[in-house]
Amino acid sequence: MSPQALICNGSGPENVMLEIEDLHASVQGKEILKGLSLKICPGEVHAIMGPNGAGKSTTSYMLAGRDGYEVTSGQVRFNGEDLLSLKPEERAANGIFLAFQYPLEIPGVSTLNFLKTAVNAQAKLRGEPLLDAVQFMRLVRETAKLLNVSEEMLKRPLNVGFSGGEKKRNEVLQMALLKPALAILDETDSGLDIDALKLVAEGVNKLRSPSRSFLVITHYQRLLDYIVPDYVHILADGRIVRSGDKSLALRLEEQGYDALIGKAA
Amino acid sequence: MSEIASFNDFLQRMAGIEDVSVPWLGALREEARTLFAGSGLPTRRVEAWKYSDLSRALALAARDSGPARPTPSPPGAHTVLFENGALAEGKSAPAEAGAMPLRNVLADPQTPFAKLIGHVYPQKDHAILNLNTALMEDGLVLHVRPNTTLPAPLFIRHDWEGEGARTPEGRHLRLLIVLDDGAEATVIEAHSGSPGFSTVVTEVALAAGARLNHIRFERFGAAARQSAVTLAEVKSSASYKGFYLSEGGLFCRHEALLRLSGKDAQADLGGIFLTAEGRHCDNTIVITHAGPDTASRQIFRGALSGDSRGVFQGCVRVRPEAQGADARQLSRALLLSRQAEAAIKPELEILADNVKCSHGATTGELDPAALFYLRARGIPEAKARELLIEAFLAEVIAALESEALRACAEAFVSDWLSGQTNEIPHAR
Repeated sequence: MSPQALICNGSGPENVMLEIEDLHASVQGKEILKGLSLKICPGEVHAIMGPNGAGKSTTSYMLAGRDGYEVTSGQVRFNGEDLLSLKPEERAANGIFLAFQYPLEIPGVSTLNFLKTAVNAQAKLRGEPLLDAVQFMRLVRETAKLLNVSEEMLKRPLNVGFSGGEKKRNEVLQMALLKPALAILDETDSGLDIDALKLVAEGVNKLRSPSRSFLVITHYQRLLDYIVPDYVHILADGRIVRSGDKSLALRLEEQGYDALIGKAA
Repeated sequence: MSEIASFNDFLQRMAGIEDVSVPWLGALREEARTLFAGSGLPTRRVEAWKYSDLSRALALAARDSGPARPTPSPPGAHTVLFENGALAEGKSAPAEAGAMPLRNVLADPQTPFAKLIGHVYPQKDHAILNLNTALMEDGLVLHVRPNTTLPAPLFIRHDWEGEGARTPEGRHLRLLIVLDDGAEATVIEAHSGSPGFSTVVTEVALAAGARLNHIRFERFGAAARQSAVTLAEVKSSASYKGFYLSEGGLFCRHEALLRLSGKDAQADLGGIFLTAEGRHCDNTIVITHAGPDTASRQIFRGALSGDSRGVFQGCVRVRPEAQGADARQLSRALLLSRQAEAAIKPELEILADNVKCSHGATTGELDPAALFYLRARGIPEAKARELLIEAFLAEVIAALESEALRACAEAFVSDWLSGQTNEIPHAR
């Protein structure tokens, strides 16, 4: 049985939000993704797990459009459109959001200014009305409160001097303000203690909705206790070798990657 | 008028000036003329001029680079206008701003400023200074009495436009700022347009406890040639705060030669240079600590695009008598294109034992990871670059105390950035 047969309850292609088809991609001439295929329908939460070097981060950066990732064959469709020809900002405006594993510290750019610029840049790209300062402040205050982000954090330069947990909460705040259709969480659990992890997961869960999908990329099963996936995929050597429901993650935790990848091979 | 401002043009012009009726000026000019005739124009063989080739820049034909774009001025400032290096009499009232036209002072055999002009911080071997002294005609003298604050910032606006900006012998301006004990003032020198060639010498005499904010906004046209020198003598507990913001030009150089002579004298300098295709901007700083417990701080940032060149030379000299001196210097350049070039040269010369001195210099590009982070949030590349460049410059602007001046500086920077947007190549 193909791993793909398990996923996507939708009957026709019109219900597929993201479709990655036999994707091969290289970084600096080295092939990292070797035939990655994945379908995500609206409202679904998919987890990709895999050992180091499997291509997890490449997958997230390739979807968000970072320079230096060369697609050699295959395609990616997002809501039926070719995703790979779009610039990162266009992908964002179309509804793709990447929560970074290591959010960048940018001294000299205030968090508030950054948030407002991003919200209005996306609105502009989508041809929607822009928010004025008052409307924006109301929105950001309400959202920040919901996600336990303090006003003081908003006034600081972007991510500068933030703890690991604060940086990740700031990512979730951005996600909440930008309202993406597909949120990609790249190793959101890395560098977080259990309390910080719970807080971040709580924020993510508040954003779950029937029209919003998540792709949760992680090395460890732990995160999936808090953000419970509909589907779990194991990525090894550039492609998905096993797919299953959330129990697959538990088995992985028990038996380790070698055992499960070995079985699949 | 194919070529302007050759060495011979200068000498000829100097020979034509007679100041027999004003003996002090005659003597001052005579000395400067002799020194200049002996030294000639500075060449790249002189270490201080290694990165800025004035003779080469002067050999190029003068051209027009479009109308001058005025720089933003703070609300409430008193404006004195100079058009192509000449005081625009009908359009400005220096007296209301608390200043005197230099012409009046130069014509006065008995002026008390005779002992200051050319003598605030003498530099006998400085060719540009000698050239300026020999040829200066216009400018201003600002004298603020003891424990008095100049009521409004003095905004000296220089517009350089049209044929008049390109006289063969150039235009040579002198500004004398004298603050008596405990006096305070804010002086803004703003240039826009393209002088064919001009020199500007600003002499600053700060008596004990005096405080000067000295701002230079240089929004030159692409064809501008200017060599400017600020000379300051800072006495005990006096403070010189300089903020220099420049777009450079065909050839633009500003030197700040400052001497902290009294105990607890301070110099605080912030500078930003923003250069685009074909431009050259040189910031040369020499701060001499000559009094005990003197403090200096320099923060310079440059953003360079096209094939432009930005120069920062920052030299701190600590004399043996300057025990307890504290000198800090930080300079960073951001190269926005592969063809841009930054020459950054920190120098320390310390002759006292008990001092704190630090310096740091870096040159780099915009961080591609930061750029991607912003773009991944939907911010278009050009806007993302703008945000990062503004962030890079923010620390220098934040050090300005006056909110109105910070707003002027921010407007200046954002205007430059919006002019750059078209030149930015898109990676995707």
